[in-house]
Parts: sequence; C-alpha cells; structure tokens
Amino acid sequence: MKRWPKTDIRHCCYRNLDARFVILLLCLLLPVPSILVAAQEHSSTPPASPSSTPGKFVDITARSGINFRYQASHTSKKYLPETMGAGVALFDYDNDGRLDVFLVNGAPLSDPTPKGTIPQKTGPQYWNRLYHQKTDGTFDDVTEKAGLQGTGYGMGVAVGDYDNDGYEDLYVTAYGGNKLYHNNGDGTFTDVTQKASVGGSGWSTSAAWVDLDGDGFLDLVVLRYLEWDFDDIWCGEHKEGYRAYCHPDFFKPVSPLVYHNNGNGTFTEVASKLGLARPGKGLGLAIADYDRDGHIDLFVANDSMVEFLYHNKGNGTFEEVGLPSEVAVDIDGRTYAGMGVDFADYDNDGWPDIVVTDLANQRYALYRNNGDGSFTYASTTTGISKITLAHSGWGVRFLDYDNDGWKDLLITQGHDLDTVELTHPNLRYREPMLLARNTGKSFVDVSAESGAIFQRPWVARGMATGDLDNDGRVDAVVNTNEGPAYVLRNETPTENHWILLKLTGHQSNRDGIGAEVKAVTASGAQFATVTTTSSYLSASDKRVHFGLGKNEVVQQIQVRWPSGIVQTLKDVHANQILQIDEPSGSPRW
Amino acid sequence: MRIRFCKSMNQADPRAGRRNREGSAVLRIRVLVSLLVACVCAVVSSAQTSGDFALGLSEFSKGNFTSAAELFARAEEAAPGTTDALLYESKAYIHLEQFTAAEGALRRYLVVHADSGDALYLLGYILHREGKATESLETYTKAAQLRTPIGDDLKIVGLNYVLLNDYPDAIKWLEKAVEGEPKNKEAWYFLGRAYYTKSRLPEARKAFLTVLELDPRDAKAENNLGLILESEAQPDAAMDAYRKAIRWQEQSPHPSEQPYLNLGSLLMEQSQVGEAILLLQKAIELAPKDAVCRLKLGTAYLRLGKLADAQRDLEKAVQLAPDDPAAHYQLGKLYKEMKALDRAKTEFDRTAELQSRGASPKPQ
Repeated sequence: MKRWPKTDIRHCCYRNLDARFVILLLCLLLPVPSILVAAQEHSSTPPASPSSTPGKFVDITARSGINFRYQASHTSKKYLPETMGAGVALFDYDNDGRLDVFLVNGAPLSDPTPKGTIPQKTGPQYWNRLYHQKTDGTFDDVTEKAGLQGTGYGMGVAVGDYDNDGYEDLYVTAYGGNKLYHNNGDGTFTDVTQKASVGGSGWSTSAAWVDLDGDGFLDLVVLRYLEWDFDDIWCGEHKEGYRAYCHPDFFKPVSPLVYHNNGNGTFTEVASKLGLARPGKGLGLAIADYDRDGHIDLFVANDSMVEFLYHNKGNGTFEEVGLPSEVAVDIDGRTYAGMGVDFADYDNDGWPDIVVTDLANQRYALYRNNGDGSFTYASTTTGISKITLAHSGWGVRFLDYDNDGWKDLLITQGHDLDTVELTHPNLRYREPMLLARNTGKSFVDVSAESGAIFQRPWVARGMATGDLDNDGRVDAVVNTNEGPAYVLRNETPTENHWILLKLTGHQSNRDGIGAEVKAVTASGAQFATVTTTSSYLSASDKRVHFGLGKNEVVQQIQVRWPSGIVQTLKDVHANQILQIDEPSGSPRW
Repeated sequence: MRIRFCKSMNQADPRAGRRNREGSAVLRIRVLVSLLVACVCAVVSSAQTSGDFALGLSEFSKGNFTSAAELFARAEEAAPGTTDALLYESKAYIHLEQFTAAEGALRRYLVVHADSGDALYLLGYILHREGKATESLETYTKAAQLRTPIGDDLKIVGLNYVLLNDYPDAIKWLEKAVEGEPKNKEAWYFLGRAYYTKSRLPEARKAFLTVLELDPRDAKAENNLGLILESEAQPDAAMDAYRKAIRWQEQSPHPSEQPYLNLGSLLMEQSQVGEAILLLQKAIELAPKDAVCRLKLGTAYLRLGKLADAQRDLEKAVQLAPDDPAAHYQLGKLYKEMKALDRAKTEFDRTAELQSRGASPKPQ
C-alpha cells in the first residue's frame, strides 16, 4: 500500500513555494546543510531476490487517465517527418511534488502536401497534451486550461525555468517553427515565443535548457535535423509497396539554433558566436561536463554523419572535438544513424559516458569516458553490440531500475522504415522496448524477464523517465508513432535503497541544471548531472536518482553547482526525496 | 515484343566509369569461346586456312594469343576483307585483355560485315569491359535486331546497368537472363549481387541458393550468403558461411580475399582480434592492393597495441584509398596513440572533411 510522504524532522521541509524563502533563510542560519525534505519510505514490495533481479515495468496507461494518440498523418509520399515521432516531458508544472506529463503531437498532412507548407493542427486529435497528476496517481487532461494545445507538427520538448520564477517553462519544437510557453504559476501557460524571439525556423528536433555562460539563466540549444521541404521524392524500390522514407543523405545538414537568455524574458541567437553553428543532422542532445573542468559540455547525436561533442572552452565559446575524442564514429570509423543519446556515468568512475541509439545492424554506440578527454568505444566489450545488433533505438536513458547502484539502460525501439520487413525479413518495424541490466562489468539483456511490455512491439520514439509515484523506482512514459502513449510503472521487486535529490539553485539557475552530484555510500561513489535533456526529443524528471543497494545511509552527497559553489551533505538517510538548496558562498573551482 | 536495351546518353550516370569491383573481376568470356568453336568448325574457308590466317588459328587454338593476333593482323593486311582475320584478331586481344585493340580490330571488321549479329554482340561485350556502358547498351540494341540475345548477352546488358548504377534495370535484365537460361550460374550470381545491393535480401538469398544448387561448392555464393546473414544480424551463422567459403575455395587456383576479409572483420567486432589478424593477413596475401584489407588489418594491430605494424598497414590503406574517411580516422587514432598529435590532428581534420562530403546530398 502506498504511503504518503512523512516529514523527516532532521531537515527543513516545505510543500509550497511561499514557504520556500522562509525555509531558505532558516537553512542559511542553521549549521546543517540547507536541506528541505519531502521524504517517503519505500513502498512495500515482495521479498528481495538476488542482485540479478530482472525489472518489472507495468503498463498502467489504461488506468492512468492518459489517453493520447500521436498523429503522424502518414501519406503515400512518405514525407520524412511522418516516421520521426515525437517527445514526452515529465515535469512538475504546479510544484505539487508529483510529476505531470506533456506529450507532443503531429498535425494533418495532405497527400500530397504542397512544397513550402507549414502544417497546422486542425483539431483536438492533433493537440499536444498536458496531463496533471492527481494525488491518487491518476491524471487529468488539463491541456485547454493550460493553453498548451500547440500549433504545428510537433517534434520535441524541453523543460526549464528560464526566468527563475520557480515554475517550469516549456519549449516545444516542431517542423516549421517552435513555441516557448511561460508557466504562469496558476496552471496556465502563455505563448511568449514572439516576445522572446525563439521561434526559429526549419525543422527543429531536440532542445536543451542549459546555462552555457554561467550567468544564472538557462540558455536554449535547439537542434535542427535537415534542410527539408515537402518535395515529392521517391526513395526505395520503384515497386508497389516498396516506397520508403528517404535516407538523410538526400538532404543537407543544418546549423542548430542557440539562444542566449538575456535575463529579461528575451533571447539572442548566438550559435555562430559561441562556436556551436556547425551544420549537423541533429536528433539527440545531452549535456554533461565530460572533462570535469567545471564547464558544461554538449553532445549532439547526428543522423548518418559524424556525431558532435562540443567542448566548453570556459570562455563562453565551444569547440567541436568529436573525432579526436573518439565519439564521432563507431569503432571502425563508420558513421551511423544517431538518434537518441544519454550522457551519464554508467561505470561509476566519476566520468560521464555516452550512449547513442541508432538503426539495426549498426549497434548502439556506448563510449566509455577515459578521463583524459577521450573515450573508448565500449559497445563490443560491454555486450551492447550483441544485444542491439538487430534493433533500432530512439529514446534512451541510463537509469538504475533495480536500485542496485549501477545505471542500466532503458531504450525505445522500432525501425524508421515501415517497409523494412519487405527487404530485411528478420528486422522489425515494430519492436519491443529494451531493458539492459548493468552488472557493473557489462550489460545483460533482461527484457524477456522484465514484464509483458517488453514483448509488445511498438513503433516507439520519444521517452522520458522519472519517478512518477515517488516510490524511489524510476518510471517511464513513451510516445509511439501513430500509436498511443504508454505509462510504464517500475514495479521491480527489490529492497534496495534509493535517494531522489531535488536541487534548487539560487546563484545558479533555479533548476540547478548542470550541477554535478556525487553520492558516496559504503559501496562506493556514484555521479550524476542535473539535467532535463537527453533521450530523444524528450525531457525527463530533473531530480537526481541514485540506487543505493543495501546501503541505508549515504555517507556523503557532494553537489558542485553551476555557480562553482560546492556543497557537502553528510550521513543522509536513504529512501527519501531530498530537497537541496544552493547555499550562498563563493565558488570553489 | 521488341527488346530494348538502350540507355540514352542524357540519362547516363556520371559515375558510369566506376566499376562494380566484384562484378568486373569475375566476368567471363564463355560466349567468345563458344563463338570461336563454332566459327572454327563451320566458317573457315579453304582460302582462309592457308597462310598467316591458318597459322593464326592454330596459335589461337593453342592459347598463344599474342602471336595469333600478329598473324591475324598480317593476314588482313595481305588480303583485306577476304577472311575473318579481324574478327579473330579482336578475339585474341580480348583474351589478352587488351580491349582497346580488340575494339579497333572489331570495328574494322564491322565496316565490311555490318550485318553480323555475332560481331555486334562481341563489340557490346568489349565496350562493357572498357567501362563504356552506354555505348555497349546501344550496341546490344543493334545486335538484338539481328539475332535474339542469349542468357549471357542479357547478363552483360544487366551488368551494363550495374555500371550505370541503374539497379532496377540491371535486375530487370538479369532476371530475363536467368529466365532464358535457368542454369546460367553467373547470371544468378550477378542477380543476387544486384538484389543484395538494393537490400532485397530475400531475393538475393534465393539467387545465391540457386547458384549453390547449380554448383554446391561455389565459394562466392556462400560468401555472399554470409553477407546476407550479417545484414540480418546473424553473426554466428554469417561466420559459419565465411568459414565454409574459405574451405571451398582452398583448392581454387584463384581464391578470393573476400571471405577472409569478411570473417576477419566479424571476428574483430566480437573482440577476437588475434584470430582476425591471421585471416586478414591471408586476405592481404591474396589482394595486396586492397585498401579495405589493409585498413582492417591495421585497425586490428592498433587494437592490440602493435603500433609499428598498425602504422605500416594504416599508412598503406590511406595511400590506397586517400578518400576513405575511416582510413584517415584510424590513422589519426594511431598517431594520437603514438603521441604524434599534429599528425593526428591532420588525419582527424581530413576525416571530418571527407565525412562532411559524404553527408552532403546524394543524387536521387
């Protein structure tokens, strides 16, 4: 039976924004760290099985109240956007402590669609949707009240509190122009795209809120996919039923858009100025400080060209170092169809690693960070190659589903070509999701034993992860192409412990995005970066989750804030959601 | 129904000269041999059997094609147009793989024998071997008006379309070739290759299995089945196929490097680098100028930390294939390993340049 949060008397706690400033003041006066807690004991679970326990993800969509269907609007012309799918966001828009769900939707396409068309939503079936989570764990559709129906053929979503007012804002990308929605704090959002000058153009995909220059305000990085229009190009065999979506090689790459947050609700496009304007075919985007020099870096998953790693030079500009860092291509020097990406430390050595999903026969790319600015292609040696050879992946997250202290992999799958089975009978357009367990030495495919959802073939695309029910086990929501969205609750039976950290910046951006967190237990250290951006077109729970294994206490939690301030907490009890506020102080680089 | 082979000049692909490596390597001239036998038996007149022409035929039948060509040339010079000396001179040059000379002799022959269907088919074949696919197709079109093409003719027509990168038409004519001659092993093989190139794997598999029905130890077909299995993400089965192909070609006077390369590459992907190196060394022994074999071997040495060996083969790979970004990338990694950072940067920059060229729009 579910238990509701109970207060841990050792810490300050609050449940609403108004209390926050009082609490912050109190915390600053106290000798203890500025910790605000909403703690919850772990829900009762079946007896623990050995550490090799497979996962258990359960499809709770039907009883969740979420009834969403992504409209790709397939045509006989096989326009490329039809197969790319869309994203999901998990975020707490009303600060009630429960994650809400935002799903991006397409728009109608005529067959044929005239060149130059910017598709527009024409009715409720095409709306993007915001679902508010109620206290009983079910959701209400609050799209109309929130004013988030959207306009165009949607692609991605990014979550960040760009004005540091304490409420998460939304940026929604689309083919033909993007939207910035300011969260008014009363359950409604206002389209401020024009005022903010962040509408962009072309075909935008994944976007990230991240403070690139350390001024305390989140800037906005927006990837774009291709120079593309509604041209009637026949790709694939000239044979009935064999027309296929065109390969990206048919189209030119395009520069991303990078918007500097001016701090007054307006933005300035600075991609070239910052050295981030290299044309790419960007689909996936993730952030981490891979060389731990105190400056956040970016990784861009490009489709069928070299992948980009943008190193933050620390002077406000970036240099692209994918090739010399050995993350631009696979082990043989070949490019692949980069789709989704995550950037996190899977081997607990303190250095963020990278995983990139791609198409069947390419093998998902896992790059282990060597700690010297370079990476080693580790797909082969960790078992990822063998597990993923026949699969096509999109959304991807490192997440510790069984709380054993090792980050596993959850991946949405499905080929991009709905004709693939005609030419490759052993490959599938619809594929089940993949769950790969991190044993600490390699990855093992545990999908088959981890629940019925891993047997069900979907054309899955965007995926966001987060602890929907605050039980310490990370859940997921998946958006599928021309299909429903799925809410997947993690019910993995385990008595392993966990901790969930919610950071609030004060000198740094309020979301704490870019902060590095180190959690030390008797079993060793783990590391994470605060981010909402990764996977594919999606935005995940910004709270940092650590599985703690058998450890009931975290000996030390160290946060290095984007401001440079380093904060240390000692002997923190497991199985709680811990609020951490950035203290005042001087940066320690 | 009228047969049409022509590919109009304005449709010609600029890459027509780029030859299908495996296709061109295994072209056979069986048709020429059969023509020769028929001609020797039935056409040679008493006047032709005397003098240089007769001596030329004798040398030709013994396989002394250089002297045969000289004798045929002398016979034609002595008595222009009175014998088929030019036709045989052309055939002798084909055997010598001197296609320009073969074309010259045959064109002179056709001045007098413009209605010779066999001669036109032969010219179509020569033009194909010269990489003149469009001209070859035009010639086959004319020839078909004089004589119905046989399976081998249709096979060359199909291969001309391969040279033109027009796979739908290539498949169309190769399908006709096997329809007309269901036991034409080579036509089935090339049809399989065309299907494979277009990722039509079920049809490709069927074509290679047909080759194996006709010749149960055809190493090329088995090797290609391995490629299909690899494309289907069945690496273990693919390795079995490559190993089988290697066994089957052991007694061949002309073994191919391909199964060694394919098996070596697959073993590298499974981290069995030591065994891969032995296979890749064998591949290079068979094809010392093959850039891909050099690249794979150099990469394998790099993975084992044998930097000097890696340097030798990777530098050779770049020399053999200067526009291959993967070769520059591996060389860049090697130089980085050797702490030659400037040289590494040069190679990575070159990789980026070539990759960006590769990612630019392709013709549709």
